[in-house]
Amino acid sequence: MITVGMDLGTQRVKAVVLIDDAVVSRAQAFSGFDPAKAAEEAVGEALKKVKLKISDVAYFVATGSAMEMAPYADSTVSMMSADAKAGVYLFPKARTIIDVGAEEARAVKCDEKALMVDFVVNERCAAGAGAFIEAMARALEVKLEEMGPLSLKAERASQINASCVIFGESDVVSLIHRQESKPEIARAVFDAMADRISSMVHRLGVKPDVVLIGGVAKDVGFVAALKRKLGIDVLVPDFPDFAGALGAALTAATRAKERRK
Amino acid sequence: MKEPSSVKDELEFWRWREYHRIVSGKKWTSKDVITAGVDVGSVGSKAAIMVNGEAYSWSVARTGSNSPDSASKVLSLALEETGLKVSDLKYIVGTGYGRVNVPMANKAITEIACHAKGANYIWGPSVRTVLDVGGQDIKAIRTDETGRVVSFLMNDKCAAGTGRGMEVFADLLQIPIEEIGEISLKVDEEPPPVSCTCVAFAKTEAMGLLRKGWSKENVLAAYTRAMAIRMANLINRVGLERELVITGGQSKNIGIVTRIEVVLGVKCLPMPNWRDDGLDPMVAGAFGAALLGKALYEKAQK
Amino acid sequence: MDSEKIEKKYTPEIPAKEIEELRNSIKTASEKIIAENIERMKKADPKRPEAMKYFDEISNLFGQRQREILAEKQKGKKVIGYMCLFAPIELIMAADAIPVRVNSGWYDTSKIGDRVVPVEVCPVIRSTIGAKMIGLSPFLELSDALISVLTCDGMTKLSEILSDYKTIWPMNVPRVKDATHSLRFWDDEIVQMKQQIEEFTGNKITRKRLKQAIEQTQRATRVFRRLQDLRKGNPVITGRDAMLVNQAYLWDDKVRWTEKAEALCDELEKRAQRKEWVCPPDTPRVLVTGTPMYWPDNWKLPTLVEEANPKGIIVADELCSGERILNDPVGVDEWTMDDMLSAIGERYLMASTCACFTSSDGNEDRINWLVNKVKEWNVQGVIYYVIRGCMLYAMEYSRVKKALDKINTPVYYLDTEYTREDVGQLKTRVEAFLEMLTARVDL
Repeated sequence: MITVGMDLGTQRVKAVVLIDDAVVSRAQAFSGFDPAKAAEEAVGEALKKVKLKISDVAYFVATGSAMEMAPYADSTVSMMSADAKAGVYLFPKARTIIDVGAEEARAVKCDEKALMVDFVVNERCAAGAGAFIEAMARALEVKLEEMGPLSLKAERASQINASCVIFGESDVVSLIHRQESKPEIARAVFDAMADRISSMVHRLGVKPDVVLIGGVAKDVGFVAALKRKLGIDVLVPDFPDFAGALGAALTAATRAKERRK
Repeated sequence: MKEPSSVKDELEFWRWREYHRIVSGKKWTSKDVITAGVDVGSVGSKAAIMVNGEAYSWSVARTGSNSPDSASKVLSLALEETGLKVSDLKYIVGTGYGRVNVPMANKAITEIACHAKGANYIWGPSVRTVLDVGGQDIKAIRTDETGRVVSFLMNDKCAAGTGRGMEVFADLLQIPIEEIGEISLKVDEEPPPVSCTCVAFAKTEAMGLLRKGWSKENVLAAYTRAMAIRMANLINRVGLERELVITGGQSKNIGIVTRIEVVLGVKCLPMPNWRDDGLDPMVAGAFGAALLGKALYEKAQK
Repeated sequence: MDSEKIEKKYTPEIPAKEIEELRNSIKTASEKIIAENIERMKKADPKRPEAMKYFDEISNLFGQRQREILAEKQKGKKVIGYMCLFAPIELIMAADAIPVRVNSGWYDTSKIGDRVVPVEVCPVIRSTIGAKMIGLSPFLELSDALISVLTCDGMTKLSEILSDYKTIWPMNVPRVKDATHSLRFWDDEIVQMKQQIEEFTGNKITRKRLKQAIEQTQRATRVFRRLQDLRKGNPVITGRDAMLVNQAYLWDDKVRWTEKAEALCDELEKRAQRKEWVCPPDTPRVLVTGTPMYWPDNWKLPTLVEEANPKGIIVADELCSGERILNDPVGVDEWTMDDMLSAIGERYLMASTCACFTSSDGNEDRINWLVNKVKEWNVQGVIYYVIRGCMLYAMEYSRVKKALDKINTPVYYLDTEYTREDVGQLKTRVEAFLEMLTARVDL
């Protein structure tokens, strides 16, 4: 059975194609001002890679902050549920799943059947999501993908204001003026984020295994900082930014089977 | 001028023009009291050279992270083609967010005191309330007729409405920052202000409105109105006393200025014609710093 | 109370290993901060009084005093902690128990408290919860029982949360101070407390013992006032030093504190005679009022004020972590048990300038205190200090501002949190305020 999951995030739309519980293809497109169009592109590309058409797909499920705008969707699923599904699929012992995206971070607690038990969301504070790293990278005049490796070179972290993207930016500027090294500033950025994320996760209660997904999980600097703050090992899958779409595709498979009954 | 570095985006809508101005027809001699003010803000750096307390030249440049010596850079820019050297300056005052990093300064003074003095210089002794909207700060300052600070209030917790906030929005909507004010006024009817002013979530907010079919102008108007209301509230909290003036980068945003006037029911004193021969309100802090430097220099001579 | 067997109502279970790691790392960091604060205070006053050396020692919350209290406990003495100035410590002393205030001044533990209550809750409360969860606070841990005074919402629920760990004796404070029935009610609370302490310690609070305890706090009050009086003239002691001495009373041995503070006053008097000022006499003189400022992390603001450019000096405060600790003596007419208890009741309720009360005269006691301080201590500017989340002090700002405007004294509302992140921002505001004050002096 062929199912497709779409994750319409604030920055990018991700699509995953599943054939009988195996991931066969993935693709993404920038959301820009038209997430629906981006979703069409991503889905089209993902299907093309495995020489499939829209009509071949049994069920589409959409998730993500703009999920209401998804084309083709037979139904939608919350990001929290999608995260739980993906987490347990990727790591069967996963019980706490942390998803850090561009503008939002959330943590989900689930059972061995990938059913969501509890969740917590941080949408109030931008310094707890990817937008913060981007803004700080700009202020440091460092490429976004270099921030992580740069931070790993530091032994200690500078002190920055992480309550607001703007204040954090100007802190970075003044740290540079004070001749603090870029690695140390980069590390401060990740430490501040990891601090906020781990506070949020603690409200949920940390139950191993802990899995990290979302776009920010690709950043080695953040992963290292989070492991430090949580004091526990954190599992990161390949293609962590596609986890949401994967969860949606898995949900599609379950719902398609139920529909047949 | 500074070249854009390779890591920045190709189309930089947020970039305002850096420049240097020498007041036409002005000259200096070694007998004059020549002082300078260097205002290193979080976003923009400004330097002003004054001869006997009158503006002679000034410069505006971006505070970058690739030039930790923003102070030296902007001061050098102000000195270009004047025939002056740093050693000719009798007193230098550093101000702004980076005031501790103005190595050539004789003294550091906060931007609150400097903007108060600078506003008094630009508009005269009738000024009693100054709104300075900088890169990451909003300040409402009450002054006396000599430009001394009587009381002040600053934005706390939130950077919405600051220069950086507007830059992010300009970039988002792909409108050049220098046109952002005029374009925000190109609406038939003023839309309601946006509810969420957080810069970090500006994109989501804007996208939501654009998807509903709002034009870019309307989105900009709604955002600008929300910012103006925030600033008007700050002015009301410190207590509004006429005359009111606006300094700092946002003084050039006609969309903000107009809306603040509407909300407060008061007209600000008119903007000088800074593009031609008038003084630039964005440089108010540096002017004030140079003037305070002159006062300190003269006090020391006695 | 065997807190391990009882299921906790509020706090989650944390693995012992995690507790130990957090406690060790925060304790180490805190000892560093304490040492750093003291270093900076020493640097600020090159001719710092010899007597300050004692207070530097006592300032280490994890040091000498902790060991002393533990030793006393091992001899059988009971330790009764309290979280608010309304707690009548004379009763504790008269029962041969050790009183110690247990409020939390650690920024880092507020993050741990976040696991139990939302971030909007008062940071001081969150910090106290966090400190208890990892067993960080020496005095909180050593307390056999806690007196919690229900002054604000945060304190009210904190009392409940801490009951998971300790025997708690809540005291109801009447929000309307100026009513006969309020004082009657409060007197009942005092009598209740006396009985509770007697039962708990197994010691009777006799007339003789209570008289001794009251006389001791009266002595301490005299010395305390003497110290504050010495800050009226040109500065012979930094604000940070005086504030530390004041606050140390809360955990120190009361008899010894009185002696050492007296010695300090003697030295300061000599300094005044020799005109050995700690800073130029025209340094802007600042008063701080508002939310309590607990050692050590909360020296953030006083440090900013006294190390700013231009510098300021804190000559007075209106803080329950500061000058309100011992400003008023227990005034006894006749040394009968009834009269002493009544005097204690009156002193602890009526003299309080806390913002927790409501009255149609708008906390006149606090206004009078402030106006008096401004005039007699020659205060040039007031910093109205509020920790974000503290409703009571935040709301009284307008009242205080109007009163200070009337006496032409500038006041700046400064709000902050239990964080080090905002030091840069605070610095600009503090410096601008001090510049403003300096310019007024020049006038």
